[in-house]
Amino acid sequence: MRPRYFLAVLFFLLTSVFFSCRSGSVNSRRLLIYTPHGQDLLRDFVARYKQKYPGAEVQFLDMGSREVLERVRVERNRPQADLWWGAAHTTFQTAADENLLEEFRPSWADKVPEGSYDKQSRWYGTYETPQVIAYNSDAVSAADAPRDWDDVLDPKWRDKVLIRNPNPSDTMRAIFGAMVWRFQKDTGSTDQGYEWLRKLDANVHEYTADGTLLMQKLGRREGLITLWDMPDVRLFKEQKNLPVAYNLPSSGTPVITDGIAIVKGSANQEEAKRFYEFVTTPESLSYAAQKYYRIPVRTDLDRSTLPAWMNEPFTRMPLDWDLLRKQGSDWLRYWDTSIRGRSSKQ
Amino acid sequence: MDHTARKLPVLLLFLVTALVLVYGVLYPNLAVVTTSFQRSGQWTLANYRDVLAQRVVLEAILTSIGLSVFTVALCAFVGVPLAFLFERYDFPGRRLFGALAALPLVLPPLVGTVAFIFLCGESGILARTVQHLLGLETSPWTLRGWPALLLFHTYTMYPFFYVLTGAGLRRVDASLAEAARSLGASRVAVARRVLLPQLTPALIAAALLTFMTSMASFSAPLLFGGNVRVLTLEIFTARQRGDMTIAVTETVILATISLAALVFFQRYEGTRKFVAAALKGATRRREPIKSGGVRVMATLSAIVFSVILVLPVATLILVSFAGDGSWTTQTIPSQYTLGNFRRLFSEPQSYEVFLNSLLMSAIAAVGALAWSFCVVTLLMRRVRSRVLGPGVRRILSLLILIPWALPGTVVAVSIAEAYGQPGSLLGSFVLVGTFWILPVIYFLRFMPLVVRALQASMEQLDPSLDEAARSLGARVWQRFARVTLPLVWPGAVAGTLLAFVIALGEYVASVLVFVPANRPISIAIASELRDFNLGAAAAYGVVLIGIIAISMIVAGKLERWRA
Repeated sequence: MRPRYFLAVLFFLLTSVFFSCRSGSVNSRRLLIYTPHGQDLLRDFVARYKQKYPGAEVQFLDMGSREVLERVRVERNRPQADLWWGAAHTTFQTAADENLLEEFRPSWADKVPEGSYDKQSRWYGTYETPQVIAYNSDAVSAADAPRDWDDVLDPKWRDKVLIRNPNPSDTMRAIFGAMVWRFQKDTGSTDQGYEWLRKLDANVHEYTADGTLLMQKLGRREGLITLWDMPDVRLFKEQKNLPVAYNLPSSGTPVITDGIAIVKGSANQEEAKRFYEFVTTPESLSYAAQKYYRIPVRTDLDRSTLPAWMNEPFTRMPLDWDLLRKQGSDWLRYWDTSIRGRSSKQ
Repeated sequence: MDHTARKLPVLLLFLVTALVLVYGVLYPNLAVVTTSFQRSGQWTLANYRDVLAQRVVLEAILTSIGLSVFTVALCAFVGVPLAFLFERYDFPGRRLFGALAALPLVLPPLVGTVAFIFLCGESGILARTVQHLLGLETSPWTLRGWPALLLFHTYTMYPFFYVLTGAGLRRVDASLAEAARSLGASRVAVARRVLLPQLTPALIAAALLTFMTSMASFSAPLLFGGNVRVLTLEIFTARQRGDMTIAVTETVILATISLAALVFFQRYEGTRKFVAAALKGATRRREPIKSGGVRVMATLSAIVFSVILVLPVATLILVSFAGDGSWTTQTIPSQYTLGNFRRLFSEPQSYEVFLNSLLMSAIAAVGALAWSFCVVTLLMRRVRSRVLGPGVRRILSLLILIPWALPGTVVAVSIAEAYGQPGSLLGSFVLVGTFWILPVIYFLRFMPLVVRALQASMEQLDPSLDEAARSLGARVWQRFARVTLPLVWPGAVAGTLLAFVIALGEYVASVLVFVPANRPISIAIASELRDFNLGAAAAYGVVLIGIIAISMIVAGKLERWRA
């Protein structure tokens, strides 16, 4: 008869687990945030928020920004997250076009530059990330490092360039898109842009799967040069002790706006708006700038509260982001099928 | 015996089986299939025409199949001889290897690939060692492309062959071979005509599992596939581009190939069964190797294989003690710290993560075990019936394997789409946003392992035992508890353990549907990796492997408990 007791105990366990878990997980009134900004930053800001608003309940799920988009899509009929904090504006615009975001005009709405917010207020920019040419500073001297985009194509970097796989990366999509667009805007054709990517491919040692591997491989000299975003490179250099440095491309660089948005139809919109406002106050922005290397978008800040490197001047590359977003996928697909790994390496 | 009394349990079993298959497999995947045949509301084959017209997709399909075939061949090449060596002969070191052999199978993919990169990568420990020893300027190799993929696949999937061939060898009837030998058959003839047919079911099962796992393999091609294009990567890329229809169509193609392989293999599996013979005969005892030279060789190979198996885990342990940024061009990290573990144990969040994963995997595995008994009892019924003919049984086994043949992302998305809102078919049954979505997905993804393991044990069972018990007046429950359960228990525990352990490290499906209440270990590891806290990620991995080791010890005790 022992098996029968065994099964009875098992059944009891399962049902008790079922009921204990059921409570609390569904319909909770907690603010839920989806974010790629990393655990350290999130825990810090949630703690500061709770200090200011005791009793507030905040939870966050950390994942890549493309994964956030995929989740918000899947959950559109029953939104889980209230707030989506962090992704390139191109990703936010895609989500806005798919009707996944709620309109909300923050109190500082008129203090962000043109192009750093959605015209229908479905997302606003928080941080900005200029793209740079990064290199291993132990192996490459500052004098030798490439100073502009075309320098990266120099045959002396053959098999020395690391590139993060652009398909799942907003950063790399922006850079690849910018490289095609800067020729296309004059000639009307993508040929020269593709040619540029083809030459890059000839120099590429490896397309890495994610940003962590990219930085790790750069630090360990599997390649010496890469294209990546400025705050990240600085963070890896100063907080993770990797031997990396960067140059801002002299002809101009695309600047991605990182945004924030409220998820359409979510349960705790008031709380979400309060958190939205909280993390975008001048104090919060300069705190994030000092501690987490986030360059604020807001134009009304006292620039002297920011780290010095954020105030160094650089040239922006003007880009038609809408065109990039609409045609970028086709360009990337062409790159994926006809350029990647197909260039001769002789 | 009363007619209805015998029918009722069967009907119940059928109902339970059908419910899970309809709601868990058919309904969610139906949407996937229909999407692939539709374009702007019209039924059409246009999606397939478009997809198959692309050179890259064809290339990816052929590469996936080729990679899987090579993987099967290599795994057989490694696993089968090892099984023979370690099942047939006794020598020092045999037990150690036996304990380690299944290690790669339970190494969570996220942790395994990271360890692999640190160990065998271009700037990994092995490459740096060779580089420093030979005084080379650059790394002696890159971990990319076909060789890297095949190496990783062989390392992680050879246990299918090792474990199943080993189990098959234990069932082989030694008296048949002896009889053949005494009748004058040569060693080769005995191997070909007596041994091979008896091993065929095990080899086929191993080949099938390896093939399907390799077809659905994603992390390895993503991380070190280089320019090798496989179907899972094409699906991923299409999703990232926003080409959902193309992604879905490619998924259906992937699943069709895997299921075609299943049908192909099943034809062979069914034809050669030696159930009754195997039970009545005697198993062969392990032969101690006496000859000095051979003994040394066997022991040496056991040591070498044990080292190879342990190296990735050792690497992970090393990295978990490494300080940040202390490891760039050196062979091994230059600074060590306890900080990663201190960080892990000082945060309440990390305890929660482990509890969540343990609870969800346990629910999924125990559920899979209970359900497998229903399915297998149904599949194994020897009574011929109109409703449950061989055709229906074949379809059932096909349906059961579908979740295993699909990439994890697809299973997660299809479940989330099907149970994302209250619908007419389901009432208010919503899984998205609840704790339960992950246990359900773990259950669906890994129950094929339990079903297969249980089925293999049941096939060994002599049906006359059950008949004898029945003729002595034992009821259904009594026969199950006293006769069937004790005999299939070890196989059932082994399958459940495997499902449990693999669920513990699941990532690709989890990331799309997890909620704060069920944040699993793999997500915590991925977060640490994204923040470049490699040491902390490795520390999580080490604790996870510790938990897996403990569960295997507990399972070993459970196995013996019934026997």
